[in-house]
Amino acid sequence: MKSRSFLLFVPIALLAAPFFLAPMTVIGIESFRGKAGLMDEYVKVFSDTGIRAVLMDTFYVAMMVTLVSLLVGYPVAYVLSRLKGPMATIGVFLIILPFWVSTVIRSFAWMILLGRNGPVNVFMEYIGLIADPIRFIDNGIGLMIAMTYIMIPFMVIPLLNGLRAIDPNLLRAAAVLGANPTRQFLIVTLPMSLPHVAVGCAIVFVTSLGFFVTPSLLGGDLVMVSMLIQVQANRLLDWPLASALAIVVLLLTIIVFALLRGSQLASRRKGRAVTGIQS
Amino acid sequence: MKMSEKMIWAAWERILRALVTVVLIGFLVPILVVVAVSFEPKTYLSFPPSGFSVQWYVQFIHNGDYTSALMNSILIGVAAASLATIAGICGALGVIRAAAPGSTLVGILSVAPAVLPQIVLAIGLYPISVWLGLQGTLLAVIFAHAVIGLPFPFITVCGALTAYSSRLEIASMSLGANYFQTFRHVTFPMIRPAVIAGFIFAFAASLDELVLAIFLSSPATRTLPLLLWEQLNFQITPELAAAATVILVVTSILIFAATVLPRLSKRG
Amino acid sequence: MSIRNVSKTYASIDAVAPTSLEIESGDFFAIIGPSGSGKSTLLGMIAGYIDPSAGQIAVDGRDIVPVPIYRRNIGMVFQNYALFPHHTVFQNVAYPLKVRGLAKQEIATRVRESLAMERLEGVETRKPAELSGGQQQRVALARASIYQPSILLMDEPLGALDKNLRDEMQEEIKRFHHELGVTVIYVTHDQQEAAFLADRVAIMKDGKMVQIDTPRLLYEQPNSRFVAEFLGEASIFSVKSTVARSGQKHKVVLDDGTQVVVRSKLRSADGHFACIRPERIMIGARLKGLDNVYRATVRESLYTPGSIRYRVALDGTDCVLKVRVLPQGNVEFHEHGTSVQVGWSADDTIILKE
Repeated sequence: MKSRSFLLFVPIALLAAPFFLAPMTVIGIESFRGKAGLMDEYVKVFSDTGIRAVLMDTFYVAMMVTLVSLLVGYPVAYVLSRLKGPMATIGVFLIILPFWVSTVIRSFAWMILLGRNGPVNVFMEYIGLIADPIRFIDNGIGLMIAMTYIMIPFMVIPLLNGLRAIDPNLLRAAAVLGANPTRQFLIVTLPMSLPHVAVGCAIVFVTSLGFFVTPSLLGGDLVMVSMLIQVQANRLLDWPLASALAIVVLLLTIIVFALLRGSQLASRRKGRAVTGIQS
Repeated sequence: MKMSEKMIWAAWERILRALVTVVLIGFLVPILVVVAVSFEPKTYLSFPPSGFSVQWYVQFIHNGDYTSALMNSILIGVAAASLATIAGICGALGVIRAAAPGSTLVGILSVAPAVLPQIVLAIGLYPISVWLGLQGTLLAVIFAHAVIGLPFPFITVCGALTAYSSRLEIASMSLGANYFQTFRHVTFPMIRPAVIAGFIFAFAASLDELVLAIFLSSPATRTLPLLLWEQLNFQITPELAAAATVILVVTSILIFAATVLPRLSKRG
Repeated sequence: MSIRNVSKTYASIDAVAPTSLEIESGDFFAIIGPSGSGKSTLLGMIAGYIDPSAGQIAVDGRDIVPVPIYRRNIGMVFQNYALFPHHTVFQNVAYPLKVRGLAKQEIATRVRESLAMERLEGVETRKPAELSGGQQQRVALARASIYQPSILLMDEPLGALDKNLRDEMQEEIKRFHHELGVTVIYVTHDQQEAAFLADRVAIMKDGKMVQIDTPRLLYEQPNSRFVAEFLGEASIFSVKSTVARSGQKHKVVLDDGTQVVVRSKLRSADGHFACIRPERIMIGARLKGLDNVYRATVRESLYTPGSIRYRVALDGTDCVLKVRVLPQGNVEFHEHGTSVQVGWSADDTIILKE
């Protein structure tokens, strides 16, 4: 009877094989169908200045978004982790709520907020901070703000789990040994939260790399690789190039997660008393 | 009165909390802005709204495009979430309870769609759906959404299964119940909250999904996010804001259901 | 039940080495051993949720290995009981009957009977979480026996209970076995429990059956150091050479040079071990007529309810003996450091091969 248990995987196989594995294979094959040879498209990807610029921009945006999400998300997660009872649930609810609102809608919201005559500009002119409305939407700044807004829940949730899992006795032990709250944080909380910081950053970075919705609405002059792929595929019908670009994104994703996994295994091997992450 | 050191630290903590509260409430602002804008009587967006009017909602309800897109989205969502949940339950059972051969592969496959950029999947699925003759049909989007929805029920059910010992199922079988009876009487009641939560997450993911819809649907099978996106690229009106608000309400109900229903079913 | 050459190997580790044993119908058969000895694995193979790597398990002549768990008609009580948390007590006990398709009325009657037998009337509608440990235990017993299985397996069922409750449940299980006449295979790490409940006991170590015997024979005639030390206490010494022999009595020299008189059926006890049970050693007077009498100093003395325990060091040797005495009559309590006389008869020594 045990030997028939793999039958349980039939539904997933039926779903994943044609609709997940096959597409991946197709992209892989397609990416090698350059006119001038096998690696033609990949060469194009790395040599064409326009494409390179797009890749650089994408990378840059992803890095910035990850950084800011971390800077904003860490304190939020920290405070949330120290709440108890109903306040804790409310706090988590507030962070999760925007997460559920459609990405399109949230991007739309920022289009309104950051527009020429949007509330932000209006307010800043009103209080005299600026004389003319700032252009947010077309130069990438608005995009980064909106994406950070969207990505913060992805950062906060793993961080929150990690911070909550830290044994409060460790902090008490540090206090007894003479550490003030700042030192307690630096010696106990911060190091033990680093693996979760890594997970949060990985998720945010990877999602930002391949993100489509917000860049397409708020990007303006700044083009991200996902939009490039879409344009190449849908409008220009240059499937080989689109596939090559997709493979590059895919590889970047895999590399990031491989690095993450590697760091998890390395820290476990070192035997540090780090609360492990269930992957 | 000299401030003791304890008081200083407590004050810092309070300041931090206040800041974070501001941030958290600030998170709601963009959403509230959309809602506010939907009541704008003029035909172009302005904030704060110059008046109050529900005309855009009326127009939204009468707009056939929106209603059919909404129907499509709901249909696709339910179908995709169902497929994802069935596959997810079976997969979780196989990996956690049976440790069936291929478990690691299935584990990776089931979680990967959640972190892979959807654009990658989209351009890979397009040729497949053409080849299968599904291009432009609801089925194409349904299958695509089932794939990206799969991680949710898989992860929640895996979590539920690891929360109790497999001895319960072994006990059930030792008492004479076969696999189906055991699943029906023992396993399913234990995982029901996770199944419900997973289904709702998968449904919500489908409802929000844009990229796959861009590539795989036709004007007749447009989903709501796709329609919104097309409009946003074309012309922004308060009607869009009204549409967005309606979706917001629906999604809020869903979140509420996702958090409350599982708890209710646990008591049952 | 006839277990023939059953083994279980996990990735080149033998959880259970090829094992054979016979269990008679109606027997109460206990399997004991340290953690990791393979006893739960063996039980799992009998129950059917672990597939043997090799061997057959025959019940009344029929091999049950290819039979799936749910058709074996075996009853099983688990450690932590595995009661269905979302079912009431009634539903838990009714479950095997429901699954067998019995009529509602009949199920109700039989469940009530079974609950009455386990003294569980009145808790029918409660959920397992609302019951005490002892009550959960009895529900598990009722559930596992209501369909009258011919074999009942029990995997450390009393592990989660406190001492008094455990003693009470042991009586309960013994009575249960008596009344129903079912064959019981009982796994435990508690040797007292096994000795109290079982007709025969098997000791397992590292996946192998070390000795299978009645509790008394296991204690009085252990076949190895491991068994001697696992069941009760023992003082064990290495025998180096023999000095003299007279029939079955040997005068031997231990590793540290002490001379001791032992009884052995072997030609030579050299290279083996001499084992003496603590209650067989006398302390104090009335030591005439014993083969071994020595002066010793009390290293430790411990008064526990029901017995007095000493560790005594034989003067002039490295030997330390464990002694146990019943506090009867005018028995003295010898303090630490006092000098005493200890003695025992050669008949009370057991020679162990390994």
